[in-house]
Amino acid sequence: MVGKADIVIIGAGIIGVSTAYNLVEKGIRNIVIIEKNYPGSGGSFRCATGIRASFTSEEHVLLMKESVKLWKELSEKHGFFYLRGGYVWLLSTEEQLELFKKFVEFHNSLGVPTRIISVEEIEKLVPTINTSGLVGGVYDPLAGKADCFKSLLLLLKYVRDKGVQVYTGTLARKIVVENSRVQGVETDKGFIEAKKIVVAAGYGSRDLLKTAGVDAPLNNLPKHALVTEKFNERFKPLLVDWSSTSYMVQTSSGTFLIGAEIEEEYNVKPVNRIEFLYKAAQVWVKYFPWLAEINVLRYWTGYYVMTPDHHPILGPIDDIDGLYVATGFSGHGFMMAPIVGKLMAEWIIEEKPSIPIAENLKLKRFREGKMIKEIAVFG
Amino acid sequence: MDPKKVIVCRCEDVTLEDIYKAIEEGYTDLESLKRYLRIGMGPCQGAHCIPIVARILASKTGKKFDEIYIPGNRPPLNPIPLKYFLKKQQG
Repeated sequence: MVGKADIVIIGAGIIGVSTAYNLVEKGIRNIVIIEKNYPGSGGSFRCATGIRASFTSEEHVLLMKESVKLWKELSEKHGFFYLRGGYVWLLSTEEQLELFKKFVEFHNSLGVPTRIISVEEIEKLVPTINTSGLVGGVYDPLAGKADCFKSLLLLLKYVRDKGVQVYTGTLARKIVVENSRVQGVETDKGFIEAKKIVVAAGYGSRDLLKTAGVDAPLNNLPKHALVTEKFNERFKPLLVDWSSTSYMVQTSSGTFLIGAEIEEEYNVKPVNRIEFLYKAAQVWVKYFPWLAEINVLRYWTGYYVMTPDHHPILGPIDDIDGLYVATGFSGHGFMMAPIVGKLMAEWIIEEKPSIPIAENLKLKRFREGKMIKEIAVFG
Repeated sequence: MDPKKVIVCRCEDVTLEDIYKAIEEGYTDLESLKRYLRIGMGPCQGAHCIPIVARILASKTGKKFDEIYIPGNRPPLNPIPLKYFLKKQQG
């Protein structure tokens, strides 16, 4: 293992890899990525692969609008699957419809083209859906999905080919700080001296930051998902059933990926539970009766790394020179990765993000009581 | 035998040549190789192909089989239709 680097990134998830990618594009080469398991082994390879800008805070919308553009550019440049197949929220009460009218107004005011759609339009966008019980929906045509495996692996290969060193199976144990300046990272394979350290280690960031005396309010929330066997394309949009906060999407490989909410507690080890399979079947077989005959291949757990205001912690840690963080995406890390990588590289090199509102997402917001306000939590 | 004609992962239609190429490109751990090529992600869940791929990887990288092989164990062990998870309606 090398003993020295300009920048050490802890975590080879999509956030760490995207940060390395953007640094490489700015001409930085002397970068080391440390990964305790294998690349993508945390949230990145367990995610729902959805990408949208239709959020309910200005911070999320403005960052995600840029991310949606970058997903298209990256997928074209590196040749991985990305499709703007849209999102459809399925609404079953007039109250939900009224609430979503407010969201749509908010999105539209920031240039995100969502719209309320009728049951007939849902049927056109989602062939074979049984719409009984639905009063309407919301469509976000700018939203989409990407291949979570290929996107990460191809970007990682790109940075490796440019000279970035990647150490998998290597655990970062301590961030060494002296006189409020980072000195390096202690790993289970030795010490790496570094001027700048980026902590992009998901929930693991909490304990790591503690070693530098930094308290980050992160909580791990277990989540559950399954995939079925694969089929030719049946429908393009990612579907969200608002009443049960469940989703279903046909992935690039043709499998149906289903997530459904079951009760969970913070910071417990995610375990497989039969209730999840009952819930997933109950919600989605109602919409697609044919799904009853389709085989479930895999059921896995993952987690959302939550912050108190459900927005990520990004950028420099103000009181420690050379320490940066990107975590706490609260379920939206994969989709935000392209813009987060870009902003992190800007913070590191130019000391300023190109999207000024990103400054609101720094860790100090919790200390200063400036939490991000949302008009409502939206999926 | 022509590596193009040897199918290693039958569910996802991955040939021996695909595997050789991916290893050359630097996908030299089983977790990355599996996700890059989708080996073991079909109905057999890797039961047939993963041990074979691990052996190919071992011979190409000089690592021991035991260092490389990670048995997958995500439920259900065999594909099962969603209808078996439907609870009976009351009445």
